[in-house]
Amino acid sequence: MKECKIGVYVCNCGTNIAKVVNVEEVVESLGKMDGVVVARSYKYMCSNPGQEMIVQDIKNLGLNRVVVAACSPRMHEPTFRKALENAGINPYFLEMANIREQCSWVHDDAIEATEKARVLTSAAVRRVKYHEPLEKRSVPMCPATLVLGGGVAGLAAALELGDAGQQVYLVERENRLGGNVGRVDLTAPYLDSARDLLTEFITRANQNPKITVMIQSKLVELGGYVGNFQARVEDAQGDIIELAVGSVVVCTGYKEFDASRIKSLAYGWLPNVITSFELEGMIRKGKILTKEGNVPQYVALIHCVGSRSLEYHPYCSRVCCMTALKYAHEIKSAIPKSYVSDVYIDMHAFGKGCEDFYRRSTEAKTMFLMYEKGHPPRIREAGPDDDCGMFIWVKEQLSGEEIEIPADLVVLMVGMEPREDSEAVAHLVNISRDKHGWFIESHPKLDPVATTTDGVFIAGACSSPKDIPDTVAQARAAAARILAKIAKGEIWADAVYAEVDEDLCSGCRVCNELCPYTAVEYDKVKKRSHVIYAMCKACGACVAACPSGAIKARHFTDQQIFAQIEGVLPWHSNHVS
Amino acid sequence: MADKKLQIALYWGAGCGGCDVAVLDTNEFILDVAALADIRLWPIAVDGKYKDVEHMQDGELDLTLYNGAVRNSENEEIAKLLRQKSKIMVAFGSCAHMGGIPGLANLCKKEEIFKTAYLDNPSIESRNQVVPYPQTKVEVGELEIPTFYKRVYKLDAIVPVDYYVPGCPPAPHQIKTVLLAVVGGKLPPRGSVVGASDRAVCDECQRKKNEKKVSKFYRPWQIIQDFDTCLMEQGILCAGSATRGGCGVRCPNTGQGCRGCYGPMPNVKDQGAKLLSAVSSVIDSKDPKEIERILAGIPDFVSMAYRFGLPASMLQRSFQQ
Repeated sequence: MKECKIGVYVCNCGTNIAKVVNVEEVVESLGKMDGVVVARSYKYMCSNPGQEMIVQDIKNLGLNRVVVAACSPRMHEPTFRKALENAGINPYFLEMANIREQCSWVHDDAIEATEKARVLTSAAVRRVKYHEPLEKRSVPMCPATLVLGGGVAGLAAALELGDAGQQVYLVERENRLGGNVGRVDLTAPYLDSARDLLTEFITRANQNPKITVMIQSKLVELGGYVGNFQARVEDAQGDIIELAVGSVVVCTGYKEFDASRIKSLAYGWLPNVITSFELEGMIRKGKILTKEGNVPQYVALIHCVGSRSLEYHPYCSRVCCMTALKYAHEIKSAIPKSYVSDVYIDMHAFGKGCEDFYRRSTEAKTMFLMYEKGHPPRIREAGPDDDCGMFIWVKEQLSGEEIEIPADLVVLMVGMEPREDSEAVAHLVNISRDKHGWFIESHPKLDPVATTTDGVFIAGACSSPKDIPDTVAQARAAAARILAKIAKGEIWADAVYAEVDEDLCSGCRVCNELCPYTAVEYDKVKKRSHVIYAMCKACGACVAACPSGAIKARHFTDQQIFAQIEGVLPWHSNHVS
Repeated sequence: MADKKLQIALYWGAGCGGCDVAVLDTNEFILDVAALADIRLWPIAVDGKYKDVEHMQDGELDLTLYNGAVRNSENEEIAKLLRQKSKIMVAFGSCAHMGGIPGLANLCKKEEIFKTAYLDNPSIESRNQVVPYPQTKVEVGELEIPTFYKRVYKLDAIVPVDYYVPGCPPAPHQIKTVLLAVVGGKLPPRGSVVGASDRAVCDECQRKKNEKKVSKFYRPWQIIQDFDTCLMEQGILCAGSATRGGCGVRCPNTGQGCRGCYGPMPNVKDQGAKLLSAVSSVIDSKDPKEIERILAGIPDFVSMAYRFGLPASMLQRSFQQ
């Protein structure tokens, strides 16, 4: 190994570090360490003058290793790596010691915090000596995309990609495109026709030569990695079609809550208790009638069926409140003499135009009754002398009274839940699900359509209940992410990844099942395992597990980690006795 | 020495004697050894006194095969003496290599060991309950026996070692290889583990390996095993994946899990820790209670994972010591 010339830079972070840690003491102590050529402090190491100080030292003093004692590497490791690169040395010759989050922010005792900062920094110095120069590697990006699900999300994603001239395979399980939106009449809050909206999407998708629509088809296997997936799709004839794609968009949507699970609502037992989707069916046919064929006089809408309940789903299904208001409008216009009551917990009208829609609904003489979360409404059959078919018991919150309201038709606003096949789909495309079964995004706020598997995106209600505008926005966002990758033409894999030394691998296969990114592959002919670096996220699971020590994590080698550990431990000699 | 015969010594430290027997197991080859070499010290088979060794010139011995760990002052003294007199010092067998089975004593205090061996032991007559002391006064003077140390050491913790021959015991063909290499002057780089593979036992094991998911561990007698399938996959603990090969897959081929006697792979510092990683990686559950239940099927993991290498592990001993 070439002689190490290490520069140590200790940051004050304004007063963030310096108010607890005695920075000058750390600098003085580190300056005496073996291999350290220069040790300096600065007010803000991440600032331009701070970085320039490092760059100049590398150039003037011939430094070949740099240790920055500052904040978390999550914050500024890329900044300082860039500085090393600018000075002409490999960016991986940097090591950071976190003396802010791990010292000054969590300790009051200045003496102990200073000692800890010194120890962490000297451990970094010991580690950096073993750093190796690393290079990033690239793989080609296949421009075709597999879109799973032909609902409004899948259609929007496919059109965005197809219109940009890229090949799309749109795979739909059912025998028609349109998904759940295809079961709806009008949409809230502007009462536009769902059919018009969908027809345009479906026609365009079918006409676009870049979009291959595959109905009654399903994904059976997905192999490979970002930019280079191999998908096997079973089509309507039962044939397996092999597709090479660079990206996958999962738009598998949701299913409605099974209302028969809530016994007090009598769904499936009283014939005129129906779900919101059954009402949509009546509206689409043009007639709202009871099972007996009568025009209902009293219609009640019950909110949060399966949603916002500890017993069923704790989350809000987001679209049902506005859909219920839409029904109030539709019922009133279809049966002007009817009485519509709306039985709700809270009215969620957060979307664009929704609050206005709510206000107009209250003016349309709908009776709003507020019930308490813990006391859901109960439905019973009316007697022969009553002028209605059923009664709904409600513990009304605003009046504080327990009342019964008449109903001939009760519409249950069933919430959304993950599809039964969500676990299988998650397994197929290697993404995670939350405790409810919704697919998990890479970051809920900053990266809402990506997943932890590179190249696999999620859009629409498969990740959580969503309305049409949010769904379409997500689908187009996923398409934009994919188009950006296609435009680049290649995928750059991080230089930090695990690799198998095939001379040491015995093919025991302990590592095979472990990788959360399915980056470990077993070669049955060679009887050795190997890591596909483009898929590896350098989590280290296989490295730790490999009983033969044949898997090495670049930038996290045993040697580097042991040197770092030895740096924080006091030295004990072996005394024979 | 005029005939330039190889000058060799074999020593038995803290061990069972199996390594010496393994040397004899080379059968007729031992006669070739006798023809090629002067055996200057071999307490089990040849007359030779420590005094004779003390009188040798430094480096007079070409080769010492030291088997057994260092457990008492005699082991240490002779290790140092033989090191001084030998050109090549070989840690021979698991005990010298890594501490071996005696090294498991590092889980106990010296007092506990004495209690079990000399006091609280049904095979000892009650009036004879006495623990060894280094010095004992008798009528004619003071008698001295070696001091029993608090810990067991592997040989290279005491003296520099040139080569390691692993195994409990080393396989006869390995012993031949080592002796012939010394005779022929064809020695690998110092510090090498000789006569073993750089790949794990699994590499030579013919059992079929699949992705591993274990939901229950068995002792070998608790299950009728499939001889064609990886033992670990059947829930039988096998150290093969964490152990250097070269032994000829002796244990798995007879239906027993590998016991790990050839020690860790070249890049590995701690064989037991690696085995722990391997075992925890194949457990087929994410539920803590279920995992606990599965792990309860392994009665004494430390003794299993560090059967031959506790003094060579990173922790080396129980914290109580």
